Amino acid sequence: MGKHRTPARYSAAGLAWRGLRRKNWPRVWREPELKSAYDVVIIGGGIHGLATAYYLAANHGITNVAVVDKAYLGSGGSGRNTAIVRSNYLTPEGVAFYDRSLDLYNTMSTDLNINVMFSARGHMTLAHTDSALRTMNWRAEVNKLQSIDSSVIGPDEIKKLSPSLDTSPNTRYPILGALYHPPGGTIRHDAVVWGYARAADAHGVDLHQKTEVLDILCEGGDGPDGKGPGGKVTGVRTSRGDIHAPVVVNCTAGWASTIAAMAGVRLPITTHPLQAAVTEPVKTFLPTVIVSGSLHVYVSQTDRGELVFGASVDPVATYDMKGTLEFTEELAGHVLELMPGLSKMRLMRQWAGLCDMTPDYSPVMGPTPVDGFLVDVGWGTYGFKAGPVSGEQMAACVAHNATPELIAPFVLSRFTDGTLVGEKGAAAVGH
Amino acid sequence: MLLVPCPHCGPRNASDMSYGGEPHSRPDPNTTSPEEWRTYLYLRDNKSGWITENWYCSSGCRKHFKLERHTLTGELRNPPLPGNKTGGHK
Amino acid sequence: MTTRLPVQPNEVIDRSKPLTFTWNGKKMRGFEGDTIVSAILANGEHVISRSMKYHRPRGVLTADFWDPNTSVQVGDEPNVRAAHRHLVSGMAVSAQNVWPSLKYDAKAASGLVGRFLTAGFYYKTFMKPAKMWPTYERVLARFAPGGKVDLDTPHGYHDKRYAHPDVVVAGGGPAGIAAAIEAARAGASVILVEHEHALGGHLRWGSNDDGDALAGLLAEAESAGVEILTDSTVTGRYEDNWLAIAQRNHPVAVERLIKARAKVLVVAPGLIERPYVFAGNDLPGVMTSGAVRRLITMYAIKPGTRAVVLTANESGDTAIDELEGAGIEVVKVIDARTGASVTKAIGSKSRVKAVTCSDDSIVDADLLVTATGWTAPTSLLNMSGDRPVYDPSVARFFADSPPDNVLTTGGIAGDGTRHELIAHGRSTGALAASRAVVARHRIQAATARAVAVDGSEPTYPDDTRTPLGRDPHPELFRSTSHGMVDFSEDISSKDIFGAAAEGFDSVELLKRFTTATMGPSQGKLETVNTVALLAEARGETISEVGTTVWRPPYAPIALGALAGRVFEPVRLSSIQPWHEANGSTPILAGQWVRPEHYGDPQQEVRNTRANVGITDVTPLGKLDLQGPDVAKLLSQLYTNKWMQLAVGSVRYGIMCAEDGVVLDDGVTGRLGDDHYLMTTTSSGAGGVWNWIENWLQTEHPEWQVHVTPVTTGLTSINVAGPRSRELMSRLVGDDIDLDPDAFRYMQVRTGTIAGVKDCVVWRIGFTGELSFEIHVPSGHGLHVWKTLLEQGESLGVAPFGLEAQRIMRLEKGHFIVGQDTDGLSKAPTTGMIGLLKLDKDDWAGKPEVTWALEGDYPRIVAIQPTDPSIVPEEACQILRDGTKEIVGRITSSRFSPTLDRAVCLGQVTAEFADPGTTLTVQLVNGERITARVMEHHAHFDPEGERLRG
Repeated sequence: MGKHRTPARYSAAGLAWRGLRRKNWPRVWREPELKSAYDVVIIGGGIHGLATAYYLAANHGITNVAVVDKAYLGSGGSGRNTAIVRSNYLTPEGVAFYDRSLDLYNTMSTDLNINVMFSARGHMTLAHTDSALRTMNWRAEVNKLQSIDSSVIGPDEIKKLSPSLDTSPNTRYPILGALYHPPGGTIRHDAVVWGYARAADAHGVDLHQKTEVLDILCEGGDGPDGKGPGGKVTGVRTSRGDIHAPVVVNCTAGWASTIAAMAGVRLPITTHPLQAAVTEPVKTFLPTVIVSGSLHVYVSQTDRGELVFGASVDPVATYDMKGTLEFTEELAGHVLELMPGLSKMRLMRQWAGLCDMTPDYSPVMGPTPVDGFLVDVGWGTYGFKAGPVSGEQMAACVAHNATPELIAPFVLSRFTDGTLVGEKGAAAVGH
Repeated sequence: MLLVPCPHCGPRNASDMSYGGEPHSRPDPNTTSPEEWRTYLYLRDNKSGWITENWYCSSGCRKHFKLERHTLTGELRNPPLPGNKTGGHK
Repeated sequence: MTTRLPVQPNEVIDRSKPLTFTWNGKKMRGFEGDTIVSAILANGEHVISRSMKYHRPRGVLTADFWDPNTSVQVGDEPNVRAAHRHLVSGMAVSAQNVWPSLKYDAKAASGLVGRFLTAGFYYKTFMKPAKMWPTYERVLARFAPGGKVDLDTPHGYHDKRYAHPDVVVAGGGPAGIAAAIEAARAGASVILVEHEHALGGHLRWGSNDDGDALAGLLAEAESAGVEILTDSTVTGRYEDNWLAIAQRNHPVAVERLIKARAKVLVVAPGLIERPYVFAGNDLPGVMTSGAVRRLITMYAIKPGTRAVVLTANESGDTAIDELEGAGIEVVKVIDARTGASVTKAIGSKSRVKAVTCSDDSIVDADLLVTATGWTAPTSLLNMSGDRPVYDPSVARFFADSPPDNVLTTGGIAGDGTRHELIAHGRSTGALAASRAVVARHRIQAATARAVAVDGSEPTYPDDTRTPLGRDPHPELFRSTSHGMVDFSEDISSKDIFGAAAEGFDSVELLKRFTTATMGPSQGKLETVNTVALLAEARGETISEVGTTVWRPPYAPIALGALAGRVFEPVRLSSIQPWHEANGSTPILAGQWVRPEHYGDPQQEVRNTRANVGITDVTPLGKLDLQGPDVAKLLSQLYTNKWMQLAVGSVRYGIMCAEDGVVLDDGVTGRLGDDHYLMTTTSSGAGGVWNWIENWLQTEHPEWQVHVTPVTTGLTSINVAGPRSRELMSRLVGDDIDLDPDAFRYMQVRTGTIAGVKDCVVWRIGFTGELSFEIHVPSGHGLHVWKTLLEQGESLGVAPFGLEAQRIMRLEKGHFIVGQDTDGLSKAPTTGMIGLLKLDKDDWAGKPEVTWALEGDYPRIVAIQPTDPSIVPEEACQILRDGTKEIVGRITSSRFSPTLDRAVCLGQVTAEFADPGTTLTVQLVNGERITARVMEHHAHFDPEGERLRG
C-alpha cells in the first residue's frame, strides 16, 4: 500500500540553499502509470477531488487512490474562481460547514507546507435597499449564534474600512450598510490545488492528468448496462484504459451531470457560466473584499495590484465559456457606481468558469442510488470556499461508508424528500 | 452575445430574451407522487450537446418558443417551435 | 543631448508644433505627433521604467502599443502606454514602478537576490510563523507594479454607439485597407478599425514606394465610403460576430465603446515582432527591428550610435540600411539564418555596452537589434472558437477553421509582397461583402414582421481566394543563454525550465505557476516564446505542447468606456414631484422611488386611524386581463376559487410557484364579464406577468386571455380612515354609489372621480381602516391627489408614506411576500389555510402544498414582546429557551402608535406557533427578551369591524 515519500520541504532556507547552488526543485508530484485497479477513483482534479484524495490518505490511511482529470490539475473552477473565502452563511448548517473550511484554510500553509497566501482582509457585503439590509441582519444574527465574527455596519464605518467606496446617500444604489465579516478574505487558489496535489501524491495517491473518463462501469442497476438505481459501481473507463474500483467519487464541476449520467443518475443541476475579469495592476488601494448582491459584483485587489471582479452566473445554461461583452459592461458600470474614481483603470482579461447550480443554492454530497458512486457536486459559485471541508468530509464518507453529520443536510435524497436547504431563503450573489 | 431567432421578431440579441431552460411535461397534479412531481421540479438532464430549450421574447413580442441549441458551441439549428411548459420552481 | 535626427521623409512628427511636457518633474520638449516615449528618447533619456520583480532598468523594446516596460503615469491616469499615446502639451508624465526615483531605485536591491526569487518563490516561503503572513503580504504589496489610481478621478463623458455594419475589418495594414475598399465597392457598409494612430501598418515605416502605395490606398478607401476608425481596437469578438470596438480617438468621448453586430469580420491585425531570449535581452538598448525602424522613420529618433543586428528576415535586413541611413554605425550583422546568434548583451548600469556573439566575439555596441520572427496575434480567432495551428516551417501560428463569417487576410493569413497582400485583401473584401449579402437576406427572411425579402436566398459564396504563401522562417526563440521571456512579469527562461522540471509542465500550469503571459501585454510578445521554451524543456514540439487560449479584450479597455453612461432609471409615480415638493423623505423601494414619510410616520398613522389619510400606492403591480377564460387562468394561478367571482367584486389571492412556495399575492377585481384588473406586489409585477404568459402559451394555449401591464398607466391612491367615505363622496360622480349597502367591502366600481372618467375604485383595506383604493389614468393622478387634499381639508386629510403603511399593515397582521415569507415558505406558512382549496382541480403548486399541509411547516404568527417598549430589530432570532437553537425569527417589527406597544410578525416552527406560547427573542445587542404568540395575526381590530364599516 503506502509508498509514502517525503517531498522537498518548502522553506526560506530551502530557497536560499537552492538559490546559492542554482539547483532546481524536484518534481512536485509524480507522473505515475495508470493501474488497472484502485480502491477509490476520484473524478476531477480540482480542489474538491484532490482534497478528498489527500484526506482519504492522510486521515484514513486509504492510499490506493487515483485522481483522474481530463485536462490538468485545477483546470476547472479551481483555477477560475476569484478565490474568496468566508463563512457568514445564512443557515446554521451552512455556517458550520463553511466555518470548518475556513479553519482548514487558516492552518493550510503549515499543514501542507505551501504558502497559500490566505489573506483574512475582511469581507463586506453591501446592502443598497432596506430589504437587503434586513437579510444582512438575518445573516449576522445567525452568524453570531454560531460564534462567527459577522456584524452589520453603517456607511461611516464602511468608508473607514474602504475609502474608495462612494458612501454618499444620493447615488443610484446608495450604500445603506454592509455585513462585515473580518475573517473572510482571499487566498491563492492555485496554491491550494498544488498543495493538496503535492501532499496527496506524497501519501501515495496517483494523480492522472489528461485522463478523461468516458464511462462509468456498473452492474445490477435498473437501467441499460446495469447502470442506474439499485446497481453498483465496478469501475471507470478512461481515455487511457479501464480502471476497476468499488468506489467512484464524482468531484467535477461543469461536468457533474454528464459524469452522473454515465452511472444512470440524474442530478438537480443546471450548468451556467460565471464570468470574471481582471484589470491592469495599480498600486494597492482596496483593503477588503467588496460584494454587492444587488449590483451582481464582487471585487478584491490582489497583492500584485490587479482588481479581480466577478459577477453572478449568466442566466443561460450552457457549457460554452466564451464569455460576453455585456458582462464587462454591466460590471464596469456597477463598479464605477460603487467606486467612481476607477474610470481610467483598464480591464485586461475576462474569462468564465462553469457553475453547477442547484435549486437551493447548496451542494449535493454523499451517496447516490448507485452503490459505490458518490457525488460531491452542485457547488454553484461557492465551491472554492468549501474545498477543504468537502474533501475532509467526503473522505470520511468513503472511509466509513456513512454520511457524516456535516454533510447530511446536502444529500441527494433531499430533492425527493422535499427537505431543501434554507440558503435559498435569501438567495443573492453568494460570494 | 448570441442572436436568438424569435419566430415573430426575428434574430434578436439574447439580452432581449428570457431563458426558460429544459421543457417538461407537467405531471397530473391530482395523481402525481412526490417522487414524480419533484423530478419535474428539480431533476435536469443538463446535457452537453444538442438540446431543445425554451426561450421567451421578454423584451419584445412576449412569445414563448423552443429552440435547438448546442450547449458546448452555442450553435443553433432548425427554426423555432412553439414553447413548452418550463415547469420547475419559476 | 538630443537624439532627434534631421527631417525624415515619412516622419509623423510636426516640427512646426513644439510641445512641452514634464518627465519625472523635468521639463522636456517634443513635437506634435510624438509618442510620449519618442519625446523622452528625443530628450536623451532611455530608461522608462523599472521591472516588476527585480527593478531592473528598462527601456524601449518594441516602440509600439505592446512595448512591455513603457507604462507611465500621466496625471491621474495610470498605466498609460507611452510608446503609443500621443504627446499632449503640458502632460505631467512620471515613471510608475520606482522608489524613490527612476535613477536610484532602492528596490533594485532585489535584483541582487534575483536567484532566490525564482518563479513561484512566494509559495515556498513565508509560511511560518503563520501570523506573520499579513506583514509579509503588506511588504509584497508594495512591490505591486502599475500606476496610482486617483480616487477623485471623475467619470468622464463616455458615450456608446451601436452599429450594424455588413463588414468590420480589424486592422488597417495594406491587406486590411484593401479588404475594406473592395467590400465597400461591392456595396457593403464597412468599418475599418486600426489600432495605431494612422492606417498603413508596416507601410508606414517602409520604403518610399510603400508610402506612395499607402497614399493611393487611403484615397481609394475614402472614395469607396469606408468608415475609418484609427487609434481604435476591435477588443472582442463575441457570439455571432458581436464586436466590441474601443474608439480612443473620439473628439468628445474620452474613450468610446462601439458595439457592432457585423455580418462578416475580417481579421487583419498583421504580425507582432517577437523578442529573442538571451542573457541581457532586457537591457535598454536591446530592441526589435520594428522598434528601430519606427523610431527612425516615423519619429526621427536615433536609437543608438553603434549597433549589432541579429537578423533572420527582411525586416532585420532593411533595418540595417535604415540604421546606417540614420548615421548609426552597424558594427556587426549576425545572420541568424546561418545559425549564428548572440549569446549575451553586456550592460553598463542602464544600457547595453557590448554584445557577445555565438562565435564568442565581443563587440562594443550600445544598440542590439533583433529580427528573429513574428507572432500572429490570433486573439480574435480564439474568440471566434478557432484553435490556431502551429506551422514550424514558418515559425508561427495560423488559423485552423474559423467560422464562415470570420475571414483572415494580411500577415495573419500568410506572407507576400505588398502587391500580393493587397490582392489578397481585395479578394477577402469581395468575399466578405458577398457573404454579408446572404447574411442580410437570412436575417430578413427570419423576421416574420419584416418587409418580405426579394427573391430567393443567394448562393452562399465559397472561399475561392488564392491563399497567401508562407515564407520559410527559422524557429528562433532562445539563444544558448538564459534571458527574459516575460518582460512585464520578470519571468526568465530559467524560470520556465525550473517550473517545468518541478512538474508544472503543461502550458496552463506553467502559466499559472510562473505568471508568464499574465501581465499587461497578455502574451502578445511572450506566449510563443513561453510555449517554445516549454517544448524545449519537455523535448517536445510546439504542436505537442499546445498553446494558451487568448481571451478578450485584445487590448485593455477603460472601465469608463465599458460602463458608458450608466442607464438604470428609477420609476416614479405621477405624484412623486408633489411628494418631494411637500417634504417627503424619498426611499428606494425596488425600482421605485417612493415617499417614506412626510416628517412623522407615527403621526401619519394616528391621523389615518382618527380622520383620513391618503397614500400613493402606484408601484402596486397592475395587470389588465381580458377574455372569456380569465377566470380559468385565475383559478390556475391562485390557490383559492375564482370561477364564481361576481362582476363588481374583488378577491384576495395567493399565488404559489410549482414547488408550493409563495410567489406573490394581491387583489383581483372583476370589472366586467370578460374584464379583470389584477394587482400584484410591487416587486412581483414583472415576474407575475411572465408567469401568466408561461401558463397561457405553453400549458393552456387554448385559453383566450389577453394580458396588458398597466402598472404605470394607472396612478393608484389609497384613501383610508374612518372619514374616507365622506371624503370620497366629495369627489365621486353620479356613476359611483358610495352607500355602504350599495358598495360593500371587497367590491369594485368603475366611474368618475374628481371629474376623471374611467377610474377603478375598490374597497379593500390593508391598513385595517375603511378604505378605497382608486386607480386613475396616470395623466390625471396628480389632479386627483390634489383634489383629495383640497376636498378633505375640513376632514383632517393628510398624506401618509410607506413607513405609515408598513406600520398599519403590521398592526393588521398582513404579511409581506418576501419579507415575512422567504424562498422556502410554502403557502401553508402564511396561515391562510382557508385559501388553500385542495378540492379545486388544479392550481400551480397544489401537490407541494397538499403534502406540506400534512407535515410540520413553519408558521407566520403575530408576536408581542412582553415589555411593550422593546421593539426587536427585524431579523432577530427566536431561540429555544436556554439554548442557541434557532426556532424562528422576527420578520417584521414596529412600534404601534395605535396600540402604544411593539408589534411583530415572525416565523416560528410548528412547536412554537400556538397562541399564548412564550418565545425567547435574542436582540441584536445579545440581550434575550420574552414575547408572546398572539391568537390572531391582526394586533388591531382582529374582527375587521372598522374596514367593513
